[in-house]
Amino acid sequence: MDKQANEEILTLGIESSCDETSAAVLRGGREILADVISTQIPVHQRFGGVVPEIASRKHIVNIMPVVDEALRVAGVKLQDIGQVAVTYGPGLVGALLVGVSAAKALAFSLDVPLIGVNHLEGHIFANFLADKALEPPFMALVVSGGHTSLVDVRGYNEFRLLGQTRDDAAGEAFDKIARVMGLPYPGGPRIDALAKEGDPLAIDFPRALDEKGNYEFSFSGLKSAVLNYINSEKMKGRELRHADIAASFQHAVIEVLVHKACEAAAEAGRDTLVLAGGVAANSGLEARLRREAAARGLRFMFPSPVLCTDNAAMIACRGYYQGAAGKFSDLCLNAVPGLGLTDSSLAH
Amino acid sequence: MSSMAEASGLLALDTATQVSSVAVISGRKLAAELTVQGRLTHSETLVPHIRQVLQMAGLKKEQLTGIAVSQGPGSFTGLRIGLAAAKAMAYALGLPLVGVPTPAVLACQCPVPGLRLVTLLDAQKGNVYVQSFRWARTQEQGEEGWSVEGLHLHPLHEVQVAPLKETVKACGAAGEPVLLLGDVVQKKIVGRLELPDNVSCAPRHLVMPRAACVAQLGLSLLAAGRAANVMDFEPLYVRRSEAEVLWEKRHPEQIGIEEPDCVLKSGGGEDGHE
Repeated sequence: MDKQANEEILTLGIESSCDETSAAVLRGGREILADVISTQIPVHQRFGGVVPEIASRKHIVNIMPVVDEALRVAGVKLQDIGQVAVTYGPGLVGALLVGVSAAKALAFSLDVPLIGVNHLEGHIFANFLADKALEPPFMALVVSGGHTSLVDVRGYNEFRLLGQTRDDAAGEAFDKIARVMGLPYPGGPRIDALAKEGDPLAIDFPRALDEKGNYEFSFSGLKSAVLNYINSEKMKGRELRHADIAASFQHAVIEVLVHKACEAAAEAGRDTLVLAGGVAANSGLEARLRREAAARGLRFMFPSPVLCTDNAAMIACRGYYQGAAGKFSDLCLNAVPGLGLTDSSLAH
Repeated sequence: MSSMAEASGLLALDTATQVSSVAVISGRKLAAELTVQGRLTHSETLVPHIRQVLQMAGLKKEQLTGIAVSQGPGSFTGLRIGLAAAKAMAYALGLPLVGVPTPAVLACQCPVPGLRLVTLLDAQKGNVYVQSFRWARTQEQGEEGWSVEGLHLHPLHEVQVAPLKETVKACGAAGEPVLLLGDVVQKKIVGRLELPDNVSCAPRHLVMPRAACVAQLGLSLLAAGRAANVMDFEPLYVRRSEAEVLWEKRHPEQIGIEEPDCVLKSGGGEDGHE
């Protein structure tokens, strides 16, 4: 493949790691021709969280319609696709397997390369779609339902993991506390909305691992402190001040995230900080990061809400840069539900 | 697309159980079949096996005229791996896709009249998906079933979910010889359960589903014009998810109310923030 052709290559992206079935068509590394997402949020709402078996059942029904719709929106034929990129982890194994199996069969049928993509790297790469001029190096704060990590992005295929959560991810703490407060799933956006009406300094919840130079996170202690507070207030027969609890909890999470992210960027000598992952849609976190980054002279960016959620365009983008470096997968590619971020973690 | 008379190339897949099986019928022949019960997962082996079987059969994928897949019931995850691959290939190559119920695939292994075939597929927690069949030389008018080379395969009842032990015991009252087929025979019956005198187990070369049988029955579905729609084709689960069953127990007042469905949205690239 010559360079010119490679820069214009059409990448079909497929994502099915949790409760969104998505397909996208990307021209080159940055131009989204289509990014179609079928979200199952209304389906799982009544269960108070994602039910893995139901998610898998929805994926197998929706997988071909999202691919078909993405091609239609992009105005291209399947035969024009030059490579297929698919999320192979982390995520729910049964959900991942639907996308992986379909992607492998498509790549085989079309005689085009297959690229297995790490979902978390995909979230970071959503920033390349949000700002076409963005280039490494930069610092990335990844905050999603299952992950909280700080990654020094040194090149398109060179990362250094500075730290991640030792226990619960920030998103998990949001969901658990929302559930205890009786807020409907998904809890994160509800807490974010409620927090706007409360006093962030009303309750002093603990911050863990806040010594300088430590880029690991821990949210289980904070989660327990909030749950204990709620229980003890109930025991005392006091009415819960939901807005204050939400605001104070969110403030504690955000303070740790913002502080560590800015410190890490400074230490690594980066002038740009990007936010990535589902929790990036949290308005409180975004606002606070923006302020703090500005105060430290850091350029701060984050993707639009639709690029923050699980979507296939970010997977296609990550896949494009892997493909450009010749990093392809073979047809034995399997789902890896516990896949993490590691130093220079490439698919293969 | 060529007609059934030319019969050409039919690709068949079965991943409903621990067995991964891929077969190709080319013209009148079963050209190649690869049936493996190994340590690797279906996810790792299925597409490489498809490539290998086509190679062995000397057939290009462009020469295929249809795809048949074992539709279940069986392992939910295994079925979805097979169906996702079958749907994607049918979509990409523009081929008709047919789904063959897995119990019929098992019964197809033993086309012998005068015998009751009881297929048992693992439904977890001591339960089985059970369906019984009989082969006959004649087909009664209006009777459901499958025709294979002048013989007719008739299901005796719908697929049911039943406790394994009671199901095997009940076979003793069939009043005719019974042959048990299916993954449960291998996993939970041989060497573990005592069988009534008229009941025996299929040997290891017949007991598990094979793609050659999926292909055989798939041909008749294709000939009857019963292709599936790749856009909404899904496994025959028979059972609902445990979460749904539990939820309905807790919310009996909500039964019958329309369930919420997925919502489609579309994203673009020009709306990043800085």
